[in-house]
Parts: sequence; structure tokens; C-alpha cells
Amino acid sequence: MKNIWSFFMGTLVLVSKGSKAYYIWVGALLTIAGFGVMGYLHQLNSGLAVTAMKDQVSWGFYISNFTFLVGVAAAAVLLVIPAYIYHWKPIKEIAVLGELLAISAICMCLMFVTVDIGRPDRFWHLIPKVGLLNFPQSLLAWDVVVLNLYLTLNLVIAVYILYETYYKRVPNKSFTTPLLLLSIPAAIAIHTVTAFLYNGLGARPFWNASILAPRFLASAFCAGPAFMIILFLLIRKYTKFKIQDAAIHKVAELIAYAMAVNLFLFGAEVFKEYYTGSVHLAPLKYLLQGLHGYSALVPWIWTALIFNMSAFLIFLIPETRKNHVTLVLGCLMVFTGVYIEKGMGLVVPGFVPDVLHEIYEYTPTGIEIIISMGIWATGLFILTMLLRVAIPILNGDFHVAADGVSSHIGDQMFFIGKRQKEREKEKAESLE
Amino acid sequence: MKNKRFAIVLDTDRCIDCKACTVACKAENNVPLGPDNYRNWVVTGKLRGSYPNLGQSFIPSQCQHCGNAPCEHVCPTKATTTNPDGIVHVDDDKCIGCKYCQTACPYNARYYNEETEAIDKCTFCTQRIYAVPAQLPACVETCPTKVRVFGDLNDPNSEVSLLLAKNPSKVLKPAMGTNPHLFYLD
Repeated sequence: MKNIWSFFMGTLVLVSKGSKAYYIWVGALLTIAGFGVMGYLHQLNSGLAVTAMKDQVSWGFYISNFTFLVGVAAAAVLLVIPAYIYHWKPIKEIAVLGELLAISAICMCLMFVTVDIGRPDRFWHLIPKVGLLNFPQSLLAWDVVVLNLYLTLNLVIAVYILYETYYKRVPNKSFTTPLLLLSIPAAIAIHTVTAFLYNGLGARPFWNASILAPRFLASAFCAGPAFMIILFLLIRKYTKFKIQDAAIHKVAELIAYAMAVNLFLFGAEVFKEYYTGSVHLAPLKYLLQGLHGYSALVPWIWTALIFNMSAFLIFLIPETRKNHVTLVLGCLMVFTGVYIEKGMGLVVPGFVPDVLHEIYEYTPTGIEIIISMGIWATGLFILTMLLRVAIPILNGDFHVAADGVSSHIGDQMFFIGKRQKEREKEKAESLE
Repeated sequence: MKNKRFAIVLDTDRCIDCKACTVACKAENNVPLGPDNYRNWVVTGKLRGSYPNLGQSFIPSQCQHCGNAPCEHVCPTKATTTNPDGIVHVDDDKCIGCKYCQTACPYNARYYNEETEAIDKCTFCTQRIYAVPAQLPACVETCPTKVRVFGDLNDPNSEVSLLLAKNPSKVLKPAMGTNPHLFYLD
């Protein structure tokens, strides 16, 4: 018990100490999160009327973000497979980071669902036994189950591995391996279930295509890894944690394949709808060309498609994949492109035109944007806190002290200042 | 309640688009004011032909009280249920406002009630049809041209059963497989 307490106190010291950049970053995140909370209090007071959602478009910006983030969370599996199935060392060293990203993404997902529902105080109806969870009939009930399962799984795995590393022990494989193996189908399950949530609705032809779940997985394996690469580059630059080029380039290569499949599946969908030309073309036409003079999504989706196609080329060609300027550019394009394509680009056309062929054009209100930004800030705050503890553990700066009880912190800095880095270099050179 | 299966049969040729059904429904069921809050409505068809040979059809619509209701399937908290008499009900206290049922409904029958903060829709005026003495649903009672006939399909001699036996009829969006219980006479 004393051990856990000193470990916990150590983590508190870590998260409260850091360079100036760290304080600015955390302060900015907490400020934005604070605005988000105020926005949400306003929404709770006034009801969902403060959003632009209507009976014609009953899901909007919140659920778009939710859908995108489930994909980001699922993408952690892309690190787990090479690390623990193929035991490829460069990725095994960073697999925990993928799990931490998954934890933060799932937290954001749960927050986005919470702000979307009109009566969060009745949330307890979703708890089995206490309420009446409509499982297995409702896909939303499935989503509640698998998301929480996936969150728990990743928390247990990551915390266990980090805690054992802190004690300089080798994590017990007979405990981690089954959990890691389970996390692979669980990752695919959370995204498949989220796709089925839309897919199973006969009333919405835009989603009622069996290609939807494969499309979800393909785009998830683009956006999640793109975020990871940027994260890895930042961690490598500003902390002492080493991440090999080989690992980053492998992840970039995987994005190329995933994007190829994603673009192909989207093309297949476009062909089917346009060549058939039935009434079911309307939502896709609204998305790509505009319908009866309504075309709010058109510039967005073409931006997304151009981004996705350019990024595909960047990740396909080894030279641009390995050049870190084009690599970062590619990652940003993939992240933005997929965010548009499977966020608003997927949710809104499902409702436009609606089942009575009416058109209500949805644009999120300021409150919806503020609350969403608040949730993103909270998610990034969670990720920062997790990394703040995990990185010193992984690079050996935070471990149990010689007495086996109290904790030892070697370096309290998180972001290493540039000057400090240079000084270290000089020191190393003078020693030689 | 057990051996009944309620339905409405509509003769749309009689509809003059006066919207009395919508007004009566709003008053009877405390449907909040506002342009999007309706339990029932009339779809105005396109004008056919050119002057002086003109025609136009009006189709009243509402919750179809489906025998295979997609809204009930998707509800995560079992707030939507189908009673043995065929009426699809929403339990306000169980509704968390996730709006999944709105997304699933092929008829746009559901609206979000800002006052109860729950999904709301037609109940066939349960409070009226089970009152003693029994009354007709508000929309049926108020219709000046008798477009709607309400009754029990399990009673072979009821007016709805006789109408459906003697006349060909349609349901809305039969391809959805929802088995609606609003029947439109041809």
C-alpha cells in the first residue's frame, strides 16, 4: 500500500513540474476546457435548443466528432499488432503510447456522447440491472458496452506495463498477452459497432450500405496513425524519449495502404450511387455537388478528398514518406481530411434530404463549437497527463528508489528547452 | 387492451388540407408551439396539370404505429415499447434524449419535445380511447371531411376492418418492412 502511495505521490510531482512550454500548454488546454464547461452549463440550462440540431437533422457536430474519435481510438491496434504479434522491436518500444492515445480518445468519445444527449441526468438508464439497457437489440447499447470494455482493457494494460516498468520488473507475459490479444478484436469491434449504428438504419440510404464498416476501419487506420506520427515526432524532439525512425516510417507506410483502401471504398460507393442514379443518390449528391441550391458541405468534402489523395501520394513514395517536412504535412492532411470525411461528411448527409425529402441545412452553432473545443482540450489534457507520467517511466527517469518503497525522479523537466539540450550536448562532448 | 389492434384507415381523396387534425392534436396533447413540433401533419402534394385542368393531393401523416418498429429496436433504454394493442409508446422518464429513434424512423414521426426534454410522438390519444366513455383520437374526431377512421383491426365487424376488406389500400414505404398500421385507401 505504501508503495502505491509513493508511486502516486511521484506522479503528482511529475505532472506539477515542467518547463515553461509545458505550463503554457497545460494552461491553454485548461482554459479552453473551462470555456467548454461554461458552454455546457449554458446548454444544460437552455436545453438542446442552443444547438443547431433539429428534428430533421437529429445528430450533428457532437456525433461527428464522436465517430471520428472512435476511429482514432481503434487505431492503437495498428501498433499492438506489429509490437506484440510480430515482436518488432522499434514499435514495441512505443506501443504503450498508442494505448494512452486510445484511452484519451475514448474519454473524448464518451464526453461527446454525453453532451449530445438531451437528458444526461437519465444516463443511469443505460446501466444494466439498475436501468434497462436494451442489449443486444440496440446498437447504441452495444456501443456503450464495447467502448467501456475497450477503455478498461487499455487502462489495465497500459497502467500494468508502466507500473511494472516503474518497479524495474518485466511485465508478466501470461497476464499481458491474453489482454493484448483481446484488445485487437476489441479495437476492430468498437469501430465496427459504431459503423453498424448507422449502417442498420433502413430509413437512411446514405448509411445503409454494407461498405460502411470497412470504410470506417480504413479511414480509422489513416487518421489515428497520422496523429500518432505527429505525437511521436513531438515527443522525440522535446523529451529524452527515443523513438526510432524505422518505427515512424513503418507507421507512415501503413497509412499509405489504409488510405488506398479508404479511397477505393469511397470510389466504389460513388460509382454505385451515381451509375444507378436512383433516389438514393440525393444525399451523396448533396455532399459532392449540392442539392436544390443547398451546398454547405461541398467545399469541405472536396478539400478533404484533395487532402486525402495528396497525402496518399506522400505516404506512398518512400522519399516523401521519410522526409520529415512532407511527412508532417501528409499527417496533417490525413487528419484533417478524414476528420471532414467521416465527421460532418458522414453524419450530416444521412439527414439531408430527410425521410420526407425535406432539406434542413445544418451548421453548428457557436455553443456547439465551444463545447466541442472544450472536449478536445480535455482529451489532450488527459493525454498530456498520461504522457507526463509514462515518458519518464519509459526512459528510466521515474522509478522506484533504492529502498524499494519511495519513488525516484531523475529529471523533472518534461519539455526540454532547446538551450538545455545544447548544454547537454556540450557536456557530453567535453567529457569525450 | 389485450385483444385489440388499433389502426387508422385514411381516405386521402377527402382531405382538403385544412390542418384541423394538426391543431386538434396540438391542443389535446400539449404539443409545444413552434414550427417543428408536430405529432401529425399534412403533406402537400405537387400541383398536377395546368389551368383549368388541375389536381392536387394531400396526405395526412403521423406515427404509423409499426408492427415492426425500427424506433423500438434502436432505443438503448427501452423507453420506446409496443403495447399489446399495437400502440408504440415512449416513456418520457426513460428517454435520455439520444435521438437515435429519430434517426431510425422512416416517417419522421418523432420530434424532440423541449418541454418534457424527451422524444414525443402520436399515441393514438391513449388518454381518450381508454376513457370511459371511450372517445375517438382528437384528429379523427375533428376531421370535417371524415378522412380518418379509427378502430380495432381484431374486430372483423369494426369500421376499419370493413373498409380494409372492401377496398384496396396501401401503407407508406412498404419496402422498409415496418408493417405500419395506418392504411391509405387507393
